[in-house]
Amino acid sequence: MATTSKQYKAIGEDLWKNKTEKINAELFALTYGALVVQLIQDYEDYSEVNKQLEKMGYNIGTRLIEEFLAKSSLGRCADFKDVGEVIAKVGFKSFLNITPNITHAQPQPPTSPTTKSQSTSAGASPGSMFSLTFDDNPLAEFVELPEEVLEGGLWFSNVLCGVIRGALEMVQMQVTAEFVSDVLRGDETTEIRVKLIKLLEEEVPVGDD
Amino acid sequence: MRKADAENKDIFLLDKTKAMSHHIFILSPTDTPLYSLTHYSSKPVQSTGSSLSSNLPSWSTSAFAGTLTALSGASSATQHHTSGGGGVRVGGGQDRHVIQMIANASLDAIEEVMRRDSAMYLKSVDKFNEWIVSAFVTAGNKDMKFIILHETKNDDGIKVFFNDLWELYVKTAMNPFHTAHTPIRSAVFDSRVRASAKKNL
Repeated sequence: MATTSKQYKAIGEDLWKNKTEKINAELFALTYGALVVQLIQDYEDYSEVNKQLEKMGYNIGTRLIEEFLAKSSLGRCADFKDVGEVIAKVGFKSFLNITPNITHAQPQPPTSPTTKSQSTSAGASPGSMFSLTFDDNPLAEFVELPEEVLEGGLWFSNVLCGVIRGALEMVQMQVTAEFVSDVLRGDETTEIRVKLIKLLEEEVPVGDD
Repeated sequence: MRKADAENKDIFLLDKTKAMSHHIFILSPTDTPLYSLTHYSSKPVQSTGSSLSSNLPSWSTSAFAGTLTALSGASSATQHHTSGGGGVRVGGGQDRHVIQMIANASLDAIEEVMRRDSAMYLKSVDKFNEWIVSAFVTAGNKDMKFIILHETKNDDGIKVFFNDLWELYVKTAMNPFHTAHTPIRSAVFDSRVRASAKKNL
């Protein structure tokens, strides 16, 4: 039941148009902005703020995945590449109405063909990764980072990384998601790199740590 | 007195070749300057030398020699700065004082016009020798005031510029890192204002 990229796109569009309740984008951006500024004032340490944003995202992601699976009723992904496609074309589209570009990479050094046959049923090998490149970011609509924030190393939209990590953990994939570049920091693109650490065994769900 | 006159003549001569300058101020509801810019237009200025001296009676020439120097030399000696604050900037010297004085004096005129007219663009509210003061107050309780001091009439260009300035101001105000009613230090804002000034003034 291989679903092609085009089909994912169509699913994403359909979800956004018909099954998603919308709110005002400005309100959303302002709320998130106020949140980040408040965190900065409370913690005063930018790496700590990054961590907190990621944690918040993680909590959001673990809950978001349920809603996503219910609305989209997509089955298991065939491999990690598929995971990336679904996240980019269906996930982001249905929740934020943006479709990041996705580039896949397999940093594993090429070994003998036997490695392939050893792949587990999920068809994903640890170390695979994909990158999501965002053309526009609704969270950062009016944002301009002042000097000290730039120097402090804040990733403004770090909550997105947490969401990805939390959501994938609920479907038995342990990943790291982190920002590689951000236009708010003066880089050319906004890019998140998601790397698979390992596949989790089916186990009794544990409460949030 | 003669010395002052001689000084003035020299500066008037210089003035004829100087480009038109515009002094732009953004003021908060409490009349704190949040942003100011001096923009030199590339359009050549008409000679203003003779009109200035004819406006003032001869006895005032010496008394206000400093002011005259400042006014006529204002367009050549002022430097721009991007942060607010009522102080005088380096290099501006007396000139900046005069410009600030004119701007502050016009605030009363602005409030008067505001009471009469509920539109946002107030056109020219005051005139001081050769400086015309045009103002724009933003919607919603008329809180922010944009003031331009300029030498020649340019209502259309200024109107477009004020609208641009308003849009840029709103965008800056929506930045979560910007505290309301504090001086605007954003480099992006500054460069866009300059671009708009270049285009419209």
